[in-house]
Amino acid sequence: MKAVHVFCIALLVFGSASEAKFDDFEDEEDIVEYDDNDFAEFEDVMEDSVTESPQRVINTEDDEDETTVELEGQDENQEGDFEDSDTQEGDSESEPYDDEEFEGYEDKPDTTSSKNKDPITIVDVPAHLQNSWESYYLEILMVTGLLAYIMNYIIGKNKNSRLAQAWFNTHRELLESNFTLVGDDGTNKEATSTGKLNQENEHIYNLWCSGRVCCEGMLIQLRVSNAAVAATTTGAVRMPRPPNTRGSGLIPPCSFFSAPFAAAAAAATTAASQPVADWGRGGEEKARLTCAVRKSRAEGRSLEGAGMVHFLTHYADKIESVHFSDQFSGPKIMQEEGQPLKLPDTKRTLLFTFNVPGSGNTYPKDMEALLPLMNMVIYSIDKAKKFRLNREGKQKADKNRARVEENFLKLTHVQRQEAAQSRREEKKRAEKERIMNEEDPEKQRRLEEAALRREQKKLEKKQMKMKQIKVKAM
Amino acid sequence: MSTNNMSDPRRPNKVLRYKPPPSESNPALDDPTPDYMNLLGMIFSMCGLMLKLKWCAWVAVYCSFISFANSRSSEDTKQMMSSFMLSISAVVMSYLQNPQPMTPPW
Repeated sequence: MKAVHVFCIALLVFGSASEAKFDDFEDEEDIVEYDDNDFAEFEDVMEDSVTESPQRVINTEDDEDETTVELEGQDENQEGDFEDSDTQEGDSESEPYDDEEFEGYEDKPDTTSSKNKDPITIVDVPAHLQNSWESYYLEILMVTGLLAYIMNYIIGKNKNSRLAQAWFNTHRELLESNFTLVGDDGTNKEATSTGKLNQENEHIYNLWCSGRVCCEGMLIQLRVSNAAVAATTTGAVRMPRPPNTRGSGLIPPCSFFSAPFAAAAAAATTAASQPVADWGRGGEEKARLTCAVRKSRAEGRSLEGAGMVHFLTHYADKIESVHFSDQFSGPKIMQEEGQPLKLPDTKRTLLFTFNVPGSGNTYPKDMEALLPLMNMVIYSIDKAKKFRLNREGKQKADKNRARVEENFLKLTHVQRQEAAQSRREEKKRAEKERIMNEEDPEKQRRLEEAALRREQKKLEKKQMKMKQIKVKAM
Repeated sequence: MSTNNMSDPRRPNKVLRYKPPPSESNPALDDPTPDYMNLLGMIFSMCGLMLKLKWCAWVAVYCSFISFANSRSSEDTKQMMSSFMLSISAVVMSYLQNPQPMTPPW
């Protein structure tokens, strides 16, 4: 009895173990064949492994690629396997590997995998990895432009310097024979001639000459082409054609005095078209030359004389403008307040503007053509000293100037009033502060009384004035 | 002697020193090109650095060169040099951050 029990238990145990084992297998055929032969397991397994390996491989592949649909796929596969096993149960023994078994099965994994795989996109190799300088064409263009600008600047600067030096060398003798001081930058302690031009800019050169009879000083400004500006020609002296200004801009007669001129500024430049406030001419714009001297000659009165007229007509193409004035105040000052409160300081001035010949392509030898013009400047300085207006001209000039001054005062009346008012208030405030700061009370009292008395006097004066005005009006 | 003095117009006792005209008296006469170019150069440099625009940095280099070329000798060179260095640094930083070739802004 006990043995039977033991045998039953053993059987049960063995059965459960085999079932567990057999659960691993998917086909029932494996279990049946496994029991027949010790090696049947391997034979069948090998046979079946051949048949099953594709399935398993596929399954594993499926497992790797399709993790989300693994269960479904497995279920489907399992079902398919079961179906296949059912249908092919009879044939499994005769044909262990059947290709037809996998006909419909292989396509599914392939189609699903191909659908879900990302399409291959071919990305272009980045430009900077192409090892080609052609892709940097814009940078090369920029650098080339920069180099061209630098070369233009250097060439222009050198050419301007040569032109300026050529001008100075040509005129040095004339200047040194007329002026004690030729060339001064204002920085040296002693007034000694530097003998060279002051370079204010790459295209502006100054020369200050002083120490002459009838002239306090002469400032010569040489403006050559701005070589740094790409639009202009390299190093050439800019020379715009003189505008056709016939009949425009007369120089009215000026009342020159016997005293020497304050300054004579000669400028060999291009057209300086800034507005100039010359109170001697009633605040008009800067005048051009042309027929001004001819007109004065026709009136029988010429500042310059026949020699000057000859100069002006002979060198008309080189002379841009000539401006003589005894109340020259310089260019108009554009103030933010809108109008200056008082008339600017004036000087007796001769202004000359010449054009350098060359028409944009000047050479150093062209500077010799300007020498006669400098002679004309010296001649004008001497001549202007002796010039006198007649009585009528002087009266006319004084009348014009008075009219201009009156207009100016009317325009600035309001501003001047405001300025005066602010000055008065400032004075009062200062006085009050002084009284407050006074420590001695006696003194403080006295100061206060004095201030009060002053104010009362002012009030009384105003009242008197008002009464007088009323009486006059009546 | 007197004739020599008469013929010689020079007067050593009447020498006046040169006084440069103050620029504040009339700023309109001064050429504003260097100031404008300096300002533009700084603006373009900042744009090139902040917005990582290579063309801005290159334009800044051009502006600083033009400003330097048009500046007066009396002006402070430190300002010019700082503007120039800023524009160069803008170009260098733009290419360090993004070595790709420049694309035109249009």
